[in-house]
Amino acid sequence: MAGESVSKSLMLYFGPQHPGAPGNVAYKLWLDGERVIDAELVPGFLLRGFEMMMENRAWEMNIVIGYRFCVEDPDSLELGYAEAVDRLLKYDIPEKAKWVRMIQHEFGRIASHLFWANHMSGSVGLRTTGFWSIAAREEVLKWFYKVVGHRIYHSFSVPGGIRWDVPKDFKELTLKTADKIEELVKDIEAALLKNSVFKARTKGVGVIKGEDAIKLGITGPSLRAAGVSYDIRKAVPYENYDKVKFDIPTGENGDSYDRAVVRFKEIHQSLRIIRQAVEEVKPGDPWRIKLPLTVPPGTGIARVEAARGEYMIHVVSQGGRKPYRVRLRSVSLPLMTTAIKHVIKNEEVTIADFPVILGSLDPCAPDIDR
Amino acid sequence: MVWVTLKKAAKYLFRRPYTRMVPKSEPPFKTDHTRGRHILDLNKCTGCSLCKMVCPANAIDMEHIEVEEGKYPQNKKKIFPRIDLHKCTYCGLCVEYCPFSALSMTDVTGFELFTTDKSTTLKHPQELAVPPESKYRVTITKAMFLGVLQNPQVKPAGKGGSHG
Repeated sequence: MAGESVSKSLMLYFGPQHPGAPGNVAYKLWLDGERVIDAELVPGFLLRGFEMMMENRAWEMNIVIGYRFCVEDPDSLELGYAEAVDRLLKYDIPEKAKWVRMIQHEFGRIASHLFWANHMSGSVGLRTTGFWSIAAREEVLKWFYKVVGHRIYHSFSVPGGIRWDVPKDFKELTLKTADKIEELVKDIEAALLKNSVFKARTKGVGVIKGEDAIKLGITGPSLRAAGVSYDIRKAVPYENYDKVKFDIPTGENGDSYDRAVVRFKEIHQSLRIIRQAVEEVKPGDPWRIKLPLTVPPGTGIARVEAARGEYMIHVVSQGGRKPYRVRLRSVSLPLMTTAIKHVIKNEEVTIADFPVILGSLDPCAPDIDR
Repeated sequence: MVWVTLKKAAKYLFRRPYTRMVPKSEPPFKTDHTRGRHILDLNKCTGCSLCKMVCPANAIDMEHIEVEEGKYPQNKKKIFPRIDLHKCTYCGLCVEYCPFSALSMTDVTGFELFTTDKSTTLKHPQELAVPPESKYRVTITKAMFLGVLQNPQVKPAGKGGSHG
């Protein structure tokens, strides 16, 4: 880790209270003047043993715990757990539940990307657009509050379908929310991405090329920004993603700017998916199958394309009321360790660049501390 | 150019702020599905403890209460749920799994439940049975989950049947 030349340099503790740190993690930065020579992740501030907790609780209780791995993007994990248990039970859930789950998943992605926009614009010193993106996120949260009853943690997608029927004005509500978000996002995009300060701070900073990104285990928008057109929603479609039309936005250079552009393009694609999916939600259709009391032995694996990348949730049952094992493939671990080390090794990273690169990779701290 | 940002910012300069002045000038934002404080129907609860078993936050305990003879004959042990609203995550699983529709949720939430005295967050069965002081709506009821429509082609796997 710290070689001979490194040991002579200054060690700086970055986080967990630092505003540029992505959540509750810290970094040990070795500095030579302003330049960052090496970075070491210090995890463990959020360790609650979520996987172990889930193994000690019944299947239906885990609905409430399964999404707490990532605070900013809980819906993808919620869907992942529900999907994994569905596969374990060999359920074919009602069509309406699939469409509503997809809409929830996409709104969750939008909320997560907008929260990232706040973090990103903050780390380059442009707080104004950050406030707008929080306002746009508020529209998503209002939608959740009306449909689901909670703002952040929803516990709505459950094994077997969705928890309760959608309200009568679901279609109008969803389309109205989508229009409002689109209007705000267009302004944020124009103000942030065309800003010369933002361009100067992000273009050519934190470059990860396509092949390197695959080797480093990076998934999600950071991989797509490197030019690799890979999305689980297209590659291994789940729910009804094979029935909707959408594009996979990709970048060219794999730098921080491309990652920002890809995320904004993804918001528009998500809105496109929502507008198609909401047409298929018909009132009066069945929306749920109940869980059996005991779950038969077997395994269920679900892969979902979350806002940050690929989550894989693996549940193992040996019969009975509780899962034998729950395993989560974390998105953020490669982003926070191998990716950031790769960038530091290949280019001149200063302390001011470090939060920008980390922000553009958009890791989520709790999912490495599971 | 930075001008792009300034031009867009000028547009938002005269807009109404997103911040809501609650409760000074506006009531709190509530919806038909807001999950808040519970209401317990003492006449329906049989003391089966399913709500306690299914609670992921361990917020529910069963408490024995002294009542006049002949009251609540359905509950032989006279045990009723006691909910710690400080621990509760308002997931609504207790409402979903109550077999006798005794528990439901109201939209009394957020700042209406704030208190400086921690001991008041623990709601005893008699307190839960009394509706909250302020204006409230019953939002989450068992009926919402009873409306589950089974897909006739699909039979649940496993030995146990469905429960509800």
